[in-house]
Amino acid sequence: MKKYFVTTAIAGLTLAAPAFAHYGMIIPDDPMISQEDGRSVDLTMSFSHPFEMDGMMLDTPVAFSVTHEDTTTDLLNELQSATIMDDQGYTLEYALDRPGTYIFAMEPQPYWEPAEDAFIIHYTKTYVTAYGDDEGWDTELGLKTEIVPLTKPFGLWENNVFQGIIKMDGEPVPYAEVEVEFFNDGAGATVPDELMITQTVKADADGVFTYAPPSDGWWGFAALNTADYTLPQDGDDKAVELGAVIWVHFEEWTGQ
Amino acid sequence: MIRTALVCFMAVAPFGASAHQMVVFASVDCEAVTVEAKFSNGNAVQQADIRVLDGENTLQTTVPIKTDGTATVPLDSVDHSTGLVIEVDTGSHDNYWIVTPEDIAKNCQS
Repeated sequence: MKKYFVTTAIAGLTLAAPAFAHYGMIIPDDPMISQEDGRSVDLTMSFSHPFEMDGMMLDTPVAFSVTHEDTTTDLLNELQSATIMDDQGYTLEYALDRPGTYIFAMEPQPYWEPAEDAFIIHYTKTYVTAYGDDEGWDTELGLKTEIVPLTKPFGLWENNVFQGIIKMDGEPVPYAEVEVEFFNDGAGATVPDELMITQTVKADADGVFTYAPPSDGWWGFAALNTADYTLPQDGDDKAVELGAVIWVHFEEWTGQ
Repeated sequence: MIRTALVCFMAVAPFGASAHQMVVFASVDCEAVTVEAKFSNGNAVQQADIRVLDGENTLQTTVPIKTDGTATVPLDSVDHSTGLVIEVDTGSHDNYWIVTPEDIAKNCQS
């Protein structure tokens, strides 16, 4: 009987392990579209735990747009409902009419997370370059919160460092925390400890963070801060976690 | 369709430029192909040879590049039924853009 209770207690502890990181996701089929690839890019939008490939409900976003050559276009009505990681998500095929960098950005509806007693809003973006032209790779969109790339956010080899500056309302956020997670799609990555599913780095005093991934693939960076406002839930005011999320693809090194 | 056409074109397209610093793009409407060439720093290519070949690699025409890095190829001056390959060569940099028959058909309708 004692053994039973001990086992139950351990199981309870396991279940009470820290919740895995949530990520808004915008994943293109290719972050560098050449003319040989065609004239469009296919995007998949979701809200998930990307390492575990565990999808969550992504309600119709508040906003979804593309910015190219300083022009932002609303694409919200172009999204196609789809099942992503066994849950609600969206897809979009977008025609790339000209060379340059296209920045796709999504503002989701506030997601109520009872386990954290808070709402989550992840301002999510990714950069796609078309036809060999990388102009605009460092574009700042002016989102509520945003990671502005200091490293070109495509065309990176695995193990390259990625640097970005975390901004909130246009200002750098000193010592902000950035959660980093791998999109484990078909990669079969495992961890020796659950602590390694989500890695964490902090920005410096200027809001700049640095990370070098151990492998190729899609890596998500989420800079998390608490909003200066609350949202109502069941009659109470609840905190809002604002995430600045950027997805960056690292390429497999081809040398020997 | 475009991807299939491009695969066919690649069999006759020039070898990919070893210099990646020059970007070549061409848009098309019912009247002409507009060629744009610039360097990766955004500067327009001001001196270059532009060769226009058909989809079977036969030279159709050559056109001068303007100081703003653009050139115009009237569609009625070339046989574009099999598409066009636009080559831009500065002597030290070269690159190309493929205009498929689908590109022409699509943009002519809009």
